[in-house]
Formats: sequence, C-alpha cells, structure tokens
Amino acid sequence: AVYQVQRSLSMTFGSCHRLKYMNNGLFKIAGPMDRHKLCCSSFSLPRPFSQGAPNGTSPKSTSTPRIKLKTRLLVTLIFGGSILATWYFVRSEKEKKEQLRRIEQLRKVAIGQGDFDLVDHHGRPRTKKDFLGQWVLMYFGFTHCPDICPDELEKMSSVVSILDEHQELPRVQPIFVTVDPERDDIKAMASYVKDFHPRLLGLTGTPEQVKAAGKAYRVYYSMGPKDDDNDYIVDHTIIIYLLNPDGLFLDYYNRSKSDKQIAESIKKHMQTYVKLFT
Amino acid sequence: MSAPSAEERRTCWGARDAFWRCLDDNQEDRDRCAQLQKQFESSCPAQWVKYFHKRRDFLKYKEKLLTDGYEPVGQSAES
Repeated sequence: AVYQVQRSLSMTFGSCHRLKYMNNGLFKIAGPMDRHKLCCSSFSLPRPFSQGAPNGTSPKSTSTPRIKLKTRLLVTLIFGGSILATWYFVRSEKEKKEQLRRIEQLRKVAIGQGDFDLVDHHGRPRTKKDFLGQWVLMYFGFTHCPDICPDELEKMSSVVSILDEHQELPRVQPIFVTVDPERDDIKAMASYVKDFHPRLLGLTGTPEQVKAAGKAYRVYYSMGPKDDDNDYIVDHTIIIYLLNPDGLFLDYYNRSKSDKQIAESIKKHMQTYVKLFT
Repeated sequence: MSAPSAEERRTCWGARDAFWRCLDDNQEDRDRCAQLQKQFESSCPAQWVKYFHKRRDFLKYKEKLLTDGYEPVGQSAES
C-alpha cells in the first residue's frame, strides 16, 4: 500500500522536492499528510515532518490550494475554450469554402448533364432547358409495353397526385420518353399519355435523338425479335429519375419503391434543395 | 399497328389473371384451363401472350427460389 501511495504521489507531483526525503523509509511518517500539504507548501522544506502533525493545519494552508485549483480550472477553461472556439471557427470556414466549391462543381455538371433534344406529344420541340426551374420525374418506356411501363407510369402519376395535394410544395412535371421511336410517333404518344396523369408529357424523336437522350441518362434498351405481324417488345431500364430545378439528376427510383415512398423521398429533396443558379 | 388502348390493356390483363388463377388452382395443367387460355390469347397481342407466358415462368421460378431456396443445377441428385 505504501508503494502505491508513493507511486501515485510521485506521478501527481513528480517535480516536488519533498519526495527526496520520503524515499529513505521515512515515508510512513509522512503517510497521514494530505497531498496538498506534502507538496504545495514549499516554505516548510527544511522541516519536512512537522506538517504531518495533526495540529499543524492552518486555515491558510487548506484554502490556498483550493484557490489555486479554482484558478487552474479557470485558466484551463479559458485556454481550452479559446482553442475550441478557434478550431470551431476554422472548421466552419473550411466547411463554407468546401460547400461553395461543391456548388461550383455541381453547376458545371448541371449545365452539360442529361441534355436531350426531343418533340413532345403536341409536336413542340423540347430540350432540357425548357424544364429548368421545375422538378421533373422522368421515365423511359414504350407504348406497346405489356405491363411494366403502364404500371410504372401509373405509379408516377400517383406520385404526382400525392405531391399535388401539398399546396406548399412546387409542382412536379412528369415526363415519359419513348425508347421505341419507330412506332411511337407524336400521335401514338398523344393517345398513350392521356391514360395517365393530365400533366404527363410524352417525348419522342428520331431514333438518333432518342438514342442520345437514353445515353444521357444511362438508359439501356434493346429491341426484341419481331413476330409475323411485325410486333416486338423492347427490353429496357426500368427506373424513374428525379431531376431538380437546376436540371440536375438527383435521385432514382426502381420498381420496388411504392408511390408513397417516392413521394416522401421527393418531399425531402424539395426541403433540402439548395438552388445552384440565381 | 397502334398500341393497345387503356381499355384493351385492362381486358388483356383481366383475361391473363383469370387464366393464371386457373393454372394456380389446377397445378399448372393447361388442358383444364384451355377455355381461359383461348380467352387470354384472343384478348392480348401475340407478343404480349408470349411475354406473359415467359413472365409467369419467371414469377413461378422466383417464388420457388424464395420459398425453397436456391438449388444448384445437378447437385440435387447427389445430395
């Protein structure tokens, strides 16, 4: 036990002169003394053991260390506090800078990303620029699609209807882009989109234009074999894309997402959206 | 050839579902569902019929995978 106390003492007050005296077996006598007296009253160095007496305690010797402790704490707090504050300030400045840099990068990406040059189901030419400032939901498919496209377009229409119920949210523009431009002309698109949400816009174009649009959104599509009456099925990517008002691709939703889940996700995107272009 | 209208799509899907239900109830015995199969094939474009037949096979296979687990080809005999 003596060894332990000695160790803890020398660890706490390692530079204290008093310890020199204690190393030669005299420590037992010094035992009852409290730590403060041992170390901090350096004036009593020539009479090391007198302080050990129970009646050797004066009001001064107990209050001084307490004040010192308080001062020490205060100084630590002030120093630590100012270091923390400086660190926090530097970090927030760095974050601000990082955010500006990110916005600048996003701007560059937004200008060139996901461009298309197509015609809507009214016969009007449409490019991505026409939809800047609007939230856009985009789905690629074809009108002869047996079940998945109608399902997904119905889901997309339902998402738009759910979001329309919230007056405070901006309107979403649903878009359907064909991957079967040979059969899906303007007329075919017009008669097809009217089965879904009234705002749904059908886009078509020349095979080259459609190919470019598909490439811009990493959409895969491939025509299946033709049968006797020239009918065929187009295999294609089944994904609903969300574009923000900067025309930037923001999120995508596959078949497993329900209309409610998608609407909820879009709502969150709208709430956290930071405008890139002013 | 124009794409089926919303009405035609619904008719086709209805006939498909009736035929599939019959297959479910009769352990995939097509002979016992011949009438419904005819109805289904006449209500949908030929391409869709082909597609839906394949789709049913796929859905059945998926269901089997989910309930029985994956069984590597050729190992069922050994184990």
